[in-house]
Amino acid sequence: MTDGRLVLSAPAVPEVLEVVHTMLAQLWARADTWDQRDRTRFELAVIEVLGNVVEHAYAHDTESGRRFDITLVADDEHVVASLADNGLPVALDLSGVALPEDELAESGRGLALATAALDDLRYERVEGRNHWTLECRRGSAG
Amino acid sequence: MIEIDVHTRDDGIGVVVPRGRLNMVAARQLKEVLADLVGSGTSRIVVDMAETTFLDSSGLGALIGGLKSARQAGGDLRIARPVPAVTTVFELTNLDRVLRARDDVETAFDD
Repeated sequence: MTDGRLVLSAPAVPEVLEVVHTMLAQLWARADTWDQRDRTRFELAVIEVLGNVVEHAYAHDTESGRRFDITLVADDEHVVASLADNGLPVALDLSGVALPEDELAESGRGLALATAALDDLRYERVEGRNHWTLECRRGSAG
Repeated sequence: MIEIDVHTRDDGIGVVVPRGRLNMVAARQLKEVLADLVGSGTSRIVVDMAETTFLDSSGLGALIGGLKSARQAGGDLRIARPVPAVTTVFELTNLDRVLRARDDVETAFDD
């Protein structure tokens, strides 16, 4: 396959995760040569980052009506998700994200999982929006 | 969307079957189901993951929360039959040692 771009703009609420799962299913229906492990790590990372946007970026936000845009693109060698939201800035050093030391911790794994699953995860604050770029390369260990 | 089936076997072991994706929304439901089971005296729990098609960190958190409360009540929580997509997540988080997957629901508490 050569191109498969899917775009969604939606309210940043937990229920929208299901819509993004469906989008990912559509992406894989087009990019049908990608194997299970690559699909899993990409889907996991997208849902983790989006979950983070929904849960944390808005936790201190007093305004309602927060939204996000997501674009999914696949070619033969890469799948990329671009996610942007209009929430508050995220204070985050992705290089320092690690799994919790307590292996029985009940939270705090999301971004570490996304980082482990992806080949590249970037965050930028541009013109009042948070931009996340998530990339998986085919057959890589993540 | 997810459906979570719960039943208690004659041997007192609770079997929880999440059907669908265990993401942020579903994790809240799973957390409640596990808390209710332990709260009602069922502290040995098998989570049958054969029909769980996706697991994220919030789903993991619900499983670990259930594991801790089951152990505090003198029991344990074990997982059985995870699909490859779910096994990948346990491996990425190194939780495959803490929540070692069993091949079978019936025998999950045999060792």
